[in-house]
Amino acid sequence: MMKKGSFLGLALALGAVLVMTACSKQEAAAPAAATAVSDAPVTLTVWCWDPNFNVYAMNEAAKIYQREKPNVTVNVLDITDIEQKITTALSAGEMADLPDIVLNQDNSIQRFVQTYPDAYLPLNGKVDLSKFAEFKLDVGVYEGKNYGVPFDNGATATFLRRDIVEQAGFQVSDFNDITWERFIELGQVVKRETGVAMVSTVAGSSDFIMLMLQSAGKWFFDDEGKVTIKDNPAVVEAIKTYKALVDSGVLLQAADWNAYIATLNNGTTASTIQGCWIIGSITPATDQAGKWAVVNTPRFANVDSVNYSSQGGSGWMVFSSSKHPDIAMDLLNKTFAGSTELYETILPSSGAIGTWLPAADSPVYSEPHAFFGGQKIYEDLVDYASKVPRVKYGVFNYEARDVVGRAAAAVLQGASIDAALDEAQKYLEFQIAE
Amino acid sequence: MGRVKLERKYAVWGWLFVAPASLMIFILSFFPMIQAFILSLQSGRGNNLRFAGMRNYLRLLEDEQFRAAVCNVFTYLIIQVPIMLILALILATILNEQTLKLKGLFRTLVFLPCVAGLVSAATIFKSIFSIDGLVNIMLLKLHIITSPVSFLSDPVWAKAVIIIVITWRWTGYNTIFYLAGFQTIETSIYEAARIDGANAAQQFFKITMPLLRPVILLTTIMSTNGTLQIFDEVRTITGTSGGPGNATLTISQYIYNLSFLYSPQFGYAAAASYTILFMVAVLSFIQMKIGDKE
Amino acid sequence: MNNAMKKVRPAVAFMYAFLTLIALVSAFPFVWMALASTNKSVDIVRGRFFFGLNLLENWSALFSAYPMASSFLNSLRNAVVGTIVSLFVCSLAGYGFQVYRDKAKDRLMAVLLLSMMVPFASVMIPLFRMFSQAKLLNTTLGIILPSVSTAFLIFFFRQNSAGFPMEIVQAARVDGLSEFGIYLRIYVPVMAATFAAAAIIQFMGVWNNYLWPLIILLKKEAQTLPIMLVSITSGYTTDYGILMLAVTISTLPTVILFFTQQRRFVSGILGSVK
Repeated sequence: MMKKGSFLGLALALGAVLVMTACSKQEAAAPAAATAVSDAPVTLTVWCWDPNFNVYAMNEAAKIYQREKPNVTVNVLDITDIEQKITTALSAGEMADLPDIVLNQDNSIQRFVQTYPDAYLPLNGKVDLSKFAEFKLDVGVYEGKNYGVPFDNGATATFLRRDIVEQAGFQVSDFNDITWERFIELGQVVKRETGVAMVSTVAGSSDFIMLMLQSAGKWFFDDEGKVTIKDNPAVVEAIKTYKALVDSGVLLQAADWNAYIATLNNGTTASTIQGCWIIGSITPATDQAGKWAVVNTPRFANVDSVNYSSQGGSGWMVFSSSKHPDIAMDLLNKTFAGSTELYETILPSSGAIGTWLPAADSPVYSEPHAFFGGQKIYEDLVDYASKVPRVKYGVFNYEARDVVGRAAAAVLQGASIDAALDEAQKYLEFQIAE
Repeated sequence: MGRVKLERKYAVWGWLFVAPASLMIFILSFFPMIQAFILSLQSGRGNNLRFAGMRNYLRLLEDEQFRAAVCNVFTYLIIQVPIMLILALILATILNEQTLKLKGLFRTLVFLPCVAGLVSAATIFKSIFSIDGLVNIMLLKLHIITSPVSFLSDPVWAKAVIIIVITWRWTGYNTIFYLAGFQTIETSIYEAARIDGANAAQQFFKITMPLLRPVILLTTIMSTNGTLQIFDEVRTITGTSGGPGNATLTISQYIYNLSFLYSPQFGYAAAASYTILFMVAVLSFIQMKIGDKE
Repeated sequence: MNNAMKKVRPAVAFMYAFLTLIALVSAFPFVWMALASTNKSVDIVRGRFFFGLNLLENWSALFSAYPMASSFLNSLRNAVVGTIVSLFVCSLAGYGFQVYRDKAKDRLMAVLLLSMMVPFASVMIPLFRMFSQAKLLNTTLGIILPSVSTAFLIFFFRQNSAGFPMEIVQAARVDGLSEFGIYLRIYVPVMAATFAAAAIIQFMGVWNNYLWPLIILLKKEAQTLPIMLVSITSGYTTDYGILMLAVTISTLPTVILFFTQQRRFVSGILGSVK
């Protein structure tokens, strides 16, 4: 008769054998010897996530590249939960199924590069990175090397309902180059005169706090990666400002992303302050055509800061497991880092605003946009992008984002700012400790 | 001699029959669990792991986010599981009523929610409870509220919505088990009780409950289990961050975040997952002790 | 009897009212989902609760922008294959545990039941490693394998087999039927209702499974429906008309399966416990 113990023993023995076989198999990740760019048929795989946006953009880039290299086929895949898939594969040491090129969110590039430094290829010398906005390049730098080719622009702006602010007796230009204090004053008038909240955001998100911080060139970590929440004047000011926005009734908190988009499409808010990719969610409400306008982002009154910031955005990276790393980098070099035509093609049909500076000289970028009352919004947004301060998001960006989001929620519920930030600092230090 | 031989032959067949299924569970469930345990004794980020002994487990005790997740899960457990099981028991009692008209229709409708996928169910409820969703529209029209309630961003309401989704999705499922349990009870017992003058309540508590004990035990353990591991619904409804101020964060979600959202700490995540195993084991043991009293 | 009925009339009225309420609450989300799939995204976000005229538009957008057809077929294949394999493996074990019951097997069953407590999140990474070494990524086998043998189904079959009379087994042995023959020729047909119930439970499980396929399917061609549903919401902008239509379509097969098999499903679970 078999006892329970012997079953456990069996399982353990089985386990030991499998662990040993698993460990003895060394992870061979060395990339194939740099193959010369030849004429043999080559297929590159690319992962990104939005069919109307970055998937479309990469497909257009592939078309342009194919005119020069007809032997190269690019297989662009729309992948869900891309970060989770990559983490699973890298942590299991199984890179065989990873693509050649991946699009990575700016705010997590550092986490991937620093956690799995051997998994990505440095692009220096292979891709011309000299013509990108500095702050965008910076997010992909690790130990002096560049790992990301910047793609879409996260430059923030105040997207404003012209009709609503005019009904309250203001001009669109009254909202340009202002401080958050002024923004709240104006917002209170708008609310009183029209009954519409001035601006909206997703409740519990740290989006506002993060864009305020970046406008001051500060982040949750210093250059050495130490947590700087508690004694960081920019963080304190951001939380104060956020609380003032909520308490004054100027900021409407939507339950989630869906509800937030609804506040824009329903006209329950007079503006949104967001990365410029939000245009894709504003313009489908066709009944509001011509009623929108774009101005720059508010700044702090008491802390050194500018009217420009960034939110979201992404960049292309090349995996070391790629069998054709040179071709992959050549593709990026000739398209996203070298083709005005590409940016001219993708801008009107997807609203994807690049950060490759020469593209801004294209006439397409100075086209007036009918939905925004004929304003040349792309020209303005590219101008904003060039003025965004650089910050280091660091490897623990998501942890920080969640911790500060909770601190902000606590402050809104009545906790003192000092206590909440003190707690946030402690917890974040706990969380990132080894 | 022949009989012994035969019995041996039957014994071999018996083991052959249970072997494939058992081996699969050992290889696909217990073996990775052992690997996960070894992992839970290591600390570090990504693939830079070092042996750390019990440090991950001690660290969990100080982790306020983990504590919040455990509290949330137990809130769901203590409120949702009893409500759902009592509701299911009542529904099963009614649906088992001989005189019930339209029985087929009612049964179908009561069971219907369990065909919905968890992600689908959560997606639907999320839209219904959104700030300008149907619930708010109806409450406004009925003048119960004066301005829309932000159900999903309020710490208490967000929990309530999740409890509503789980209850909606799983009550019918449990009702089926109770209905099945009722079939094991001879109707003559009830007739005898009625003749003895027992009313409906007495019949329920004196006959139905004791005889259904095994089924109630089964559903309690299954629900406890499911709730402790809850992930899909919560992630769909309040997103990855765990809702307003961690109000809806669950243990599985925290494990997922530690592995895939944050700078990956697989050892620490594995330690957190072992605490679920431990809690399920303890709770099941207690429930079995109570349930098996007789 | 009639007198008794008259006496409890208020109670009966309350009972019907309660049942009707529950039935409405049960059905409502399905109605909302179906209505929403005929509307424009903007109208859904605004809470419109009527039939709209956008169904065809949503339909063509869904099928052109997303791999709806292939995802549907993948899910169907996985669910059908997974259900058949799982029923065979688990019923065999359940039969074995009951018919050849002894202390050792009871203990083994108890150990197997422990696997129900294993949270999936914790075995995910070791399983992925194992499956990628076994070259099972992106395959139907890879998707279904972890859910083929579940302690729940084995236990379900074992419990149901308790009603399966040992005399039949003895008689069949006398008739010279092999042990496997008894399982296949006698047990399977007799337990048809149990199999139907188990099939529904398993089909729904594989059909709706989200996390595991998400992890091991790295190829677009192998993608399943729940993953596609989430991918619709993962862009910068979500079209709720398309999303709700996709949710509706992905719920249809389980609804149809349930409606057509409901009688067998209920009697399978009911009859089995006897």
